[in-house]
Amino acid sequence: MDPEDVAALVESELPDAEATVGRPRGVEDDDHLALEVVSPAFEGESVLDRHELVYDALGEHMTTDIHAVELTTQTPEEAEE
Amino acid sequence: MSFDPDPELSTEEVQQRVDEAIAENEVVLFMKGTELMPQCGYSKRALGLIGQYREDVETVDVLPALDAFRDALEAHSGWETIPQTFVDGEFVGGSDVLAELEEKGELAETLEA
Repeated sequence: MDPEDVAALVESELPDAEATVGRPRGVEDDDHLALEVVSPAFEGESVLDRHELVYDALGEHMTTDIHAVELTTQTPEEAEE
Repeated sequence: MSFDPDPELSTEEVQQRVDEAIAENEVVLFMKGTELMPQCGYSKRALGLIGQYREDVETVDVLPALDAFRDALEAHSGWETIPQTFVDGEFVGGSDVLAELEEKGELAETLEA
């Protein structure tokens, strides 16, 4: 799965989400992604619940064509800090 | 006496080992490799994050029976990914969750350090 498609999928599944995808191991490595997601849906949710929201959005891709994601989650307020 | 130097763990044995490790330890980390020789960057990262606050973390190496451990862990957490951290029997998360808790200043509290 194309890294940009991963970000697009999260943005389409989570309300008002902004997803930024990076390649922490370098531009050649599409298997290890860093995903930063900002969404008001994270408000009041524990870190674990936030991550589950994102993994739910990625659905079966997480077990089929995404090898590893480093995930960070923020609400819009937290992102401004 | 067994002549098999490295007997495969049965599904039941793995399930029992997971159940006991979660029930009997305040903090347990299921990881790839051992505390001295982590075999995966994410497991190493999780170990390092926990180690800042707790020296008494119990680690369980899942590599001897990876698929059986994934199944047994999923029954507890709903997650199949490794590493997984449990505190007082409650699923906390993998390395990303630990890292975000640390960033938010909540990791010590979560680990009851």
